[in-house]
Amino acid sequence: MSTRQSYADFDLKIKEPSVPVLIEPHEYSTEDRHELLLKELELFSEYYSFILHEPELVGRLNSFAEKAVQHCKTPSRINEPEDAVRQMVKELIGVDAILKKHHYDKNALIQIMLDIQGHNNWLPKCAIMWTAERLDVPLARIYHIATFYKSFSLTAHGSHLVQVCCGTACHVRGSQRLLENVAKVLKIEPGQTDDDLRFTFSTVNCLGCCALGPVVAVDKDYYSNPSVEELEQIFDLYK
Amino acid sequence: MAKLHSAKDLQNLKQYVGTHNDPSVTCIAVCSGTGCQAYHSQDLADAFTQEIASRGLQKKYTVRRTGCHGFCERGPVVIILPDEICYLDVNSKDVPDILSQLLKEDKVVERLIYKETESGQAIARQEEIPFYKHQTRTLLHDNRLIDPQNIEDYIALGGYSALAKSLSELDPQKVMQMVMDAGLRGRGGGGFPTAVKWTSTRDAPGDPKYVVVNADEGDPGAYMNRSLLEGNPHSVLEGLIIGAFAIGAHQGYVYVRQEYPLAVQNTAIAIRQAHERGLLGKDILGSGFDFDVTIHRGAGAFVSGESSALMTALEGKVGEPKPKYIHTSVQGIDGKPSALDNVETWANVPLIINKGVDWFKSIGSEGNYGTKIFSLVGKVNNTGLVEVPLGTTLREIVFNIGGGIPKGKQFKAVQTGGPSGGCIPASLLDTPVDFDRLTAIGSMMGSGGIIVMDEDTCMVDIARYFIDFLCGESCGKCVPCREGLSQMRRILENICMGEGKEGDIELLEEIASVMKSASLCALGTSAANPVLSTIKYFRDEYEAHIREKRCPAGICREITAYYIDPEKCKGCGICARNCPVEAIGGAKGEVHEIDQVKCTQCGTCFEMCPERFSAVVRVPRHQVQSAADHEMELHRR
Repeated sequence: MSTRQSYADFDLKIKEPSVPVLIEPHEYSTEDRHELLLKELELFSEYYSFILHEPELVGRLNSFAEKAVQHCKTPSRINEPEDAVRQMVKELIGVDAILKKHHYDKNALIQIMLDIQGHNNWLPKCAIMWTAERLDVPLARIYHIATFYKSFSLTAHGSHLVQVCCGTACHVRGSQRLLENVAKVLKIEPGQTDDDLRFTFSTVNCLGCCALGPVVAVDKDYYSNPSVEELEQIFDLYK
Repeated sequence: MAKLHSAKDLQNLKQYVGTHNDPSVTCIAVCSGTGCQAYHSQDLADAFTQEIASRGLQKKYTVRRTGCHGFCERGPVVIILPDEICYLDVNSKDVPDILSQLLKEDKVVERLIYKETESGQAIARQEEIPFYKHQTRTLLHDNRLIDPQNIEDYIALGGYSALAKSLSELDPQKVMQMVMDAGLRGRGGGGFPTAVKWTSTRDAPGDPKYVVVNADEGDPGAYMNRSLLEGNPHSVLEGLIIGAFAIGAHQGYVYVRQEYPLAVQNTAIAIRQAHERGLLGKDILGSGFDFDVTIHRGAGAFVSGESSALMTALEGKVGEPKPKYIHTSVQGIDGKPSALDNVETWANVPLIINKGVDWFKSIGSEGNYGTKIFSLVGKVNNTGLVEVPLGTTLREIVFNIGGGIPKGKQFKAVQTGGPSGGCIPASLLDTPVDFDRLTAIGSMMGSGGIIVMDEDTCMVDIARYFIDFLCGESCGKCVPCREGLSQMRRILENICMGEGKEGDIELLEEIASVMKSASLCALGTSAANPVLSTIKYFRDEYEAHIREKRCPAGICREITAYYIDPEKCKGCGICARNCPVEAIGGAKGEVHEIDQVKCTQCGTCFEMCPERFSAVVRVPRHQVQSAADHEMELHRR
């Protein structure tokens, strides 16, 4: 379905009655409506190029799709709109699985967001909106949590996370210099992600391995006080 | 896994596990705590397993991945049981040697065992190494014997017998009385009597009641709660169930930072296994008592470790503190009575029930009974986890156990209590470490981080560091904390940059007093402690920064310069090669010189210059500047 050669087939399918037909929301419970919306999105991603003439469907889903295109363009550099929507559907299905795991419990909101963050490495906008919709919590509350806690990121992260420990033990052992050296080698400042989305650089308050201090962690590997040259070698290991 | 339906079943299981653990099998306990994992201890454990398999020795040796052994400085640590031979700094390459020596009966690999720094005497047994010898390990003792992912290991050592005893022989009132008599105080830092808190939760109106384990260990430089949860999660769980029984709670939470993935994982496994064994859930050990536990991961906010904030977070909201006109023990989660205690407090409960009140009171000092785990870090030789009776002096901890300061440097201060604590100078080293006396000298116990600082630490910089940390962590809800911290940070930054002025110290003290009396939660009321204690004990350093524009320790970059003494420099080129900004001129064999314009004062040259030359020195910035100006002047003429 991902190639343009099979377009003719789609055209045929669209003419059949199984084309996504919108059913009035009031006939369904909230949950059913969500399931339906997800299915529609899925179909939407498949038929994206062909159903633009179906104003009803487009009208319903356009806002979601626009946001999907926006957010997908940056992190994964997807340029084709249908790919973008497909990507979004994949993410939303992932979010749905997480929500289900937590039994759609509003009290577990932080846990759900941690799982989404863990799953995607960041909180995509569509995932946040979807969670708000699904749990029936205000979007503002989700943003409140997402901006309050350090674990959450509203921008896409690189594939590897570089953390320089700035705990007290590391601080007295010279973490400031290590921080500068890492910034110099990666050519980004703490809190930033490099352009090719390879590394995200951040500081952390304590990694709890004070004996190694000052310490830099790349993903789950820890390095004790590396020099500039060693840092270059270390980062070469992570493609 | 078969469910246990009574205390007798538990006893039978213990015996069964005991008889199936062949005493002739030597156990190789490889530390798999986060610290040692950073040193690749998992690869090491794999190497042991492979080597044993390839030599066909599975019947004689077994490998156990245990929790933290405490001696993190020398990780990965491997202990051979039952002989307690302790190998330090072990590498996968050492595995064949260790096994070959083991096969030769009681032979040790000399190069991997502990050597006295002064006498050079080799010490093989763990208990005889000074780092361990001076400790009283009651909570951490079992870490080396237990695979935290295996409940049977814990049961074999008598685990859950305190629970069985509480449920079958005691009643909630008696359990409460025992904890009360033992005088157990909260290990999270406040030192509030645990039984008093429990009683108020029990007697408070409202149902259901909750019990919570606080493992949101946010103090930078402290990791004892993590190690306990990672290494012996069942001891915490057992304490929690006993506490719930005494209080009458049927739901518990473990609030643990998600930055501690291993602790989260091991706790989750422990809860699952306890369920499978019938130690959690309905009708625990046939007593009719129901109890369940849920893990809640904290998403990284220091203030969320505060009781009211933590409980708000448990409700799925942002973890901000609330005014506590009514304590959380009376109105906590969803407005229901909730008893919140630190990991270590809960882990002490089974010990009190099993070994008795008198045993517990025999450890520690008057009013401060039992042991406390400290994470001894910073500029100290033996970094690691230290468990000592309350009332042990700082000197004993830093010098006898910690082995003093590296590189023969001078001791300057210890910082206890994390960002809410204070700095304690050398003159007060003989202070016994307990809840009351640390508070009396302007610091506090905190959750147990002890950060050692040597002569190369600038106390103004430390104050700035903590205020900066708290600035980022303050939730911003109340004005004294939010504004007080940011103003304090501005003043301290100015002082560090040599722009401090007369009156700054007094202003800091004034802000501190407002914050202390007017902030909403403990973060704000104690936030000024690092500033106040450094002003109290190291006022001269503040004055040197303000009046002489000089940082005595040479840490504050804006007022410090590095200078190469031409008399001492031998032109070896080490500093020039390592300088990250290529600010050092002079070819090999020539006297080097630092280009003060390019120099970023990172201090690499200072550390790299060989000790026998010691040519790089730190001087106040204005000295170098005036010398440079002078030279320019000469040049112009």
